[in-house]
Amino acid sequence: MTTLTTISNLIHEVIGEDWDLEEEITLDTTFSEDLELESIEFVSLAEKMQAAFGEDVDFVSWLSEKELDEVIDLKVGDVVEFIDACRK
Amino acid sequence: MARFLFVVPPMTGHTNPTLAVAAELAARGHEPAWCGYEALLERLLPEGARRFGLEGSLPDGFLEEIGERALKVRGLPGLKFLWEEVLLPLARDMTPGVERAVAEFSPDVIISDQQAFAGAFAARRAGLPWATSATTSADRRISLANIPKVLDWAEERLTELQVELELEPVKEPENSPHRVIVFSTPALCGEMSHHDERYVFVGPSLAPRPEPVPFPYEELLDVPRVFASLGTLNAERGQRFFAALAEGLGDDSDAPGLQVVCVAPGEFGPFPKNFIARPRVPQLDLLPEMDAVICHGGHNTTTEALSNALPLVVCPIKDDQPVVAQQVADSGCGLRLSFTRPRPHHLAEAVDRVLHEPSFKERAQEISESFTAAGGPARAADHLEALAGVTT
Repeated sequence: MTTLTTISNLIHEVIGEDWDLEEEITLDTTFSEDLELESIEFVSLAEKMQAAFGEDVDFVSWLSEKELDEVIDLKVGDVVEFIDACRK
Repeated sequence: MARFLFVVPPMTGHTNPTLAVAAELAARGHEPAWCGYEALLERLLPEGARRFGLEGSLPDGFLEEIGERALKVRGLPGLKFLWEEVLLPLARDMTPGVERAVAEFSPDVIISDQQAFAGAFAARRAGLPWATSATTSADRRISLANIPKVLDWAEERLTELQVELELEPVKEPENSPHRVIVFSTPALCGEMSHHDERYVFVGPSLAPRPEPVPFPYEELLDVPRVFASLGTLNAERGQRFFAALAEGLGDDSDAPGLQVVCVAPGEFGPFPKNFIARPRVPQLDLLPEMDAVICHGGHNTTTEALSNALPLVVCPIKDDQPVVAQQVADSGCGLRLSFTRPRPHHLAEAVDRVLHEPSFKERAQEISESFTAAGGPARAADHLEALAGVTT
């Protein structure tokens, strides 16, 4: 499974099954504008990512370094890039 | 006899819970008064209530425009908007008027809404004991736990504001060092590590509000009944949601198995035969007739439903609602669905589950009992009297 697929699945778990599956999550999908992810959903996504990718991918620390505007502009592609870099 | 000044933001949901607390204080011989924007106070306060109505210097239509724009932004852009465009400008605008009201009324205690920072500032400046009124139990320390820089961002804005208003900056200035009165109970909102002895959980404060709204009670069918209210929605979001609700729960047969009462303007229809849709309803009178509630997780509607031991399906939209929705899901009294893309079959399945799986109703009943035990407005009044130094 590609990193993008794994992340997409986790996002589906967080925002609920009722996200229209036909609207595919891509590298350009933004968490705020496109997915309208709420802050508490970031909290739960971070926990799921940590569980899925293990200790080598410290997503929580990575996210915790982000300023408000950086989190607002965050794209799914940024997270994929971060995870792939951790696993090299 | 002591004087109590309630400082409220121009938000109905933040003002209503103060009414019963003030009524309780008045019944004990004290003198309550409110300070807030005149238009809201005039609409919500009981006749004869003493009020210090602010006109403020915000441009005409500020609140309407804010309301309109607030309906469009969610998530973290919504958080940024709430702080930069609503809470901080309100605090700046309200502070001089609140300070004048304090000088004129000479309260013994100030009760400052958690989102009306001006009340907290005025109390500190006057050196008065004060309490925070937390009309929602959602807290930024919960929703921003994994994004601490965003939490810091909010704290920095509050520090700047205090410096601008020539106050010694303190952390979390909206939370009183004396009392934070939360209109919920740990049975619903959970135990939090930051809940120290300042935090008192009194449960919801539901005053019988004047609700001269007619409702056709005789038309209610003798089948399971679901109440659906999503608060104020803009046309686009409202139409999408109610279309999904109509598709998921609609039944045009002569003997439908479900009755749906929804708070929605006619333009969100057409609605199926088993729906009664009204733009306004007497919500508190109507809830005892219902079996379950679909809502957006507004704190007042959620706690009003739970006071009636009704299980919930919560579709949170923004602000504190995702946190409240999570509380509902975690406490087991209901289910949380995504509001963004409502799917008819998910709504139908969720409603079916909360109506027919007994655990949801049982948990709602337990939470309802915790609300009763928490003491409500009377317990809140006890705490406020204690701050005023009244021995009871």
